[in-house]
Amino acid sequence: MSTQIGRTDGAPAWSRLAGIFEDRLSNIPVLMVLGAIWLFFYTRNEAFLSSQNITNLILQIATTAMLALGIVFVLLVGEIDLSSAILSGVCATVVANYAVTSGWNIYLALAAGIALGMIAMVIQAVIVVFGVPSLIVTLGGMVVFQGLLLVVLPPEFTVSVGGTDYAEIASADVPTTVAYLVAGVVWVGYTISRWIHARGSSNDRIWAGVLSLVIGVAVFGGVTVLSRADGLPLPVVILGAMLIVAAYVTTRTRYGIHLYAVGGDRDAARRAGIPVSRMIIYSFAILGFCAAIAGVVDAARLLSVSNSSGGGPLMLNAIAAAVVGGTSLFGGRGSVWSALLGALVIGSISNGVQLLGYSPEVQNFATGGVLVVAVAMDVVITRGSLWPRRA
Amino acid sequence: MPPAVPPSADSATTTPFLQISGVSKHFGGVRALHEVDLDLRRGEVIALVGDNGAGKSTLVNVVSGVQRPDSGVLHVNGVEVRLDSPRAAAAVGIHTVYQDLSLCDNLDAVKNLFLGLEETDPWWRGRTLRRRAMERRAREVLDSMSVRLRSFTAPVGGMSGGQRQGIAICRALVSDPSLVLLDEPTAALGVSQRAEVLDLILRLKEDNRGVLVISHDLKDVQHVADRVVVLRLGSKVAEFSRGDYTSSDLVAAITGAHEGVA
Repeated sequence: MSTQIGRTDGAPAWSRLAGIFEDRLSNIPVLMVLGAIWLFFYTRNEAFLSSQNITNLILQIATTAMLALGIVFVLLVGEIDLSSAILSGVCATVVANYAVTSGWNIYLALAAGIALGMIAMVIQAVIVVFGVPSLIVTLGGMVVFQGLLLVVLPPEFTVSVGGTDYAEIASADVPTTVAYLVAGVVWVGYTISRWIHARGSSNDRIWAGVLSLVIGVAVFGGVTVLSRADGLPLPVVILGAMLIVAAYVTTRTRYGIHLYAVGGDRDAARRAGIPVSRMIIYSFAILGFCAAIAGVVDAARLLSVSNSSGGGPLMLNAIAAAVVGGTSLFGGRGSVWSALLGALVIGSISNGVQLLGYSPEVQNFATGGVLVVAVAMDVVITRGSLWPRRA
Repeated sequence: MPPAVPPSADSATTTPFLQISGVSKHFGGVRALHEVDLDLRRGEVIALVGDNGAGKSTLVNVVSGVQRPDSGVLHVNGVEVRLDSPRAAAAVGIHTVYQDLSLCDNLDAVKNLFLGLEETDPWWRGRTLRRRAMERRAREVLDSMSVRLRSFTAPVGGMSGGQRQGIAICRALVSDPSLVLLDEPTAALGVSQRAEVLDLILRLKEDNRGVLVISHDLKDVQHVADRVVVLRLGSKVAEFSRGDYTSSDLVAAITGAHEGVA
């Protein structure tokens, strides 16, 4: 999504059509993969696309998507992170200690957890800015945070959060009417701003209309499908809010342009007066924030924190989600929506495999295959040719 | 090839925009620049030529604020200035187009033109980018330089060398500079793209901006430059006005065959 002037006046119709969609196609490969996966599971079992299962799916992927969102920011500036998943477990544990064991107000405990996540990430970012590769810094950070998790956990290595305010974070619902109202305000606001910003050219008007319609269907359809008996699950709302804020910040602000510039060409960014080091630190701080939220939501859903919090496949799934969604590992290319779409792809496979009762190894084979296929499709589309360039 | 534009008649009488006086720069024991004097006027194209290591890049770095001279002073419009960063140079109206162009290949033309200088709404409107205003200004600047792009939204990484050079030059123009420094603008270009860029240089001059261009290509230099300044081993050894020299004079000055021509 970028500035929109296509100089296609007087061009043939097909080229005008291409002009409308020009540079707005980056999410197509992952959408195709997602569609294929959904179609496959739906034809095997119609329950896969039931409202209940989709709600379930979103709740399952919320943690991965939130973490992947933070990772997108770090990937965009051309860095990588391996430590955020385990850090999310540490943050969730600290929040549980304060909120459940010590009886602090839940918001105060949350603030402490978020602060810890951001500080831990900023410390790593400062080392990265000094010139140590982020792969190494965050690999070391991952091991250190594993130790830190054991330090902050009580001797029995688990804190149950069931029946507390903490668990409410995953189980609370936003009443359906409120959800529709907020969705309506967001949609109307979006449509108005699109319309105001649409340039004189008819391409822009058409695109504004199409987008407004798509967003409207997505927002209201999403609320309808995802609502359960008492309303919209809170984790869905949190994830949605994080995505909308991130999308605004990355595409509509000066900070967003600088984020992409730093990932595209650091020297050019520096000569343009962009504070490159500071931008890298900001990205890691945002990842720290996302990791803390992801950890808390995950712990609230699982009703406890333990020495396995933030472990398992979470880290690799989150990175894979960002990359499958179309964010480049080399910086400067991708969007915040890739976090959601990639997490949906990976989550759909595991959800479908469980729904159909396939053996667990099928999930590994499918997830690994999809990771490679999705990125390969992206490579082919970006290059515009199936075959590698000759040297 | 575009027609050459004659030097403006009053250029000799007006105060120079930039006066470089007695600038020296050493790197360890190496003398990069020695007591160089140079005047640059608006509406004038000056070419800086010399062999590798003659001090051309050092001189450009001093004027663009990348390096501080060891001694010597710079005056802008008669006022002494200290240029200790590219920002300081930009603030007095000096913009540099680097040899590598310093474009972000993943961003589109408009974003590259305004990189670091983006216009935003006031804070109470969320500091949103003023994309429409930036696009309008980008179109003006690109049109004024006759830089034609197929798309404003395509990343510049996929564009031709001439288009990229055009965007890099227009990028310098967004803030309306008085002097534009061009470091080897034609080095990596094909024949037609080279003609485009030379055309751009003459347009800068028509807009009454000063241009200081480093080039290895003596044909290009003879085509666009009102004055040619020859550096050799860090010193200014010759200065020629348009029409007062031949290619062999230039070569002789560059190689040192006629020491003391100046």
